[in-house]
Amino acid sequence: MDKLAKKLRADAERIEVTVSDELDRRINASLRAVEPVEQAPRTAKPPFFWLASTLTGVAAAVAVIAIVNWQSPDEPTSATPVNFVAAVPVIDLKAESAMLTGPLQDELDKLQSDLKKAEEKVKRDIGL
Amino acid sequence: MTDESKLIAAAQAGSADAFCGLARLYRERLLRFLLTRCASFADAEDALQDTLIAAFRYIHSYDSRWRFSTWLYRIAIRNAAKLRGPDTVDIGDLRDEENDPLQQCIADSETQNLWVSARSTLNDEVFTAMWLRYAEDMSVNDISTTLDRSVSWTKVNLMRGRRALETQMNSAANQSEAYG
Repeated sequence: MDKLAKKLRADAERIEVTVSDELDRRINASLRAVEPVEQAPRTAKPPFFWLASTLTGVAAAVAVIAIVNWQSPDEPTSATPVNFVAAVPVIDLKAESAMLTGPLQDELDKLQSDLKKAEEKVKRDIGL
Repeated sequence: MTDESKLIAAAQAGSADAFCGLARLYRERLLRFLLTRCASFADAEDALQDTLIAAFRYIHSYDSRWRFSTWLYRIAIRNAAKLRGPDTVDIGDLRDEENDPLQQCIADSETQNLWVSARSTLNDEVFTAMWLRYAEDMSVNDISTTLDRSVSWTKVNLMRGRRALETQMNSAANQSEAYG
């Protein structure tokens, strides 16, 4: 204990107080006339209290969300709605190979036919 | 279980006798403290009576995790403040020396009682913190609980209080040396 602490302790003890008999009687009489205030007993919660309160909370939250959304202003509508999905060409992936090879096949058939005609013409010319 | 805990348990069960026993353990200490907080001896006695009545009335709210003295001092501080009212100035400014109940209760001594000068130097809360620490030997945690302040606030203000009183003590010592 340092010097200041010792001095403060000693000075506190130098404050001489005594509770007089009269004050003692007064305090005792008052205490006997007082009834301690009973604390309200904590009531036991029903078994499904927490589940019920959780459900109530969730229901309240849903109700608030619904009300907020219901009260939100109408979304502005555009003058000419554009159907972007329709503007984008849809490619049928299964038909893709047939679509791409079709014109080539036609060209091949035509060339083979031309080749056959030319072959017959040459045969006629040489008298076979 | 200590004697004090037995008395508390009995008082909580409604025994006025047990609480009177408890009151006897603390009433001098409380009165000494209240004397530093009140403007007259009669006010200090009234504050003591009110404190003990309130403590017994609400004994069920006492939590045994706290020290009983901490709880009791909280009530005493509140009662002393109630007696003085909300608009009163710091207690150090209130009285003249002749009628000062604290001065009247101090045993004659060659040196001045540091608590008297503490009252005029420190504000109410810092004075109370210093009293609880050095007169009641309360821990910093208990003081912060009693005053409803943070631990850091309590530490800082105890330090400030100490500095102020050390200055007072040293200047008083220098004066007495100067006068021989």
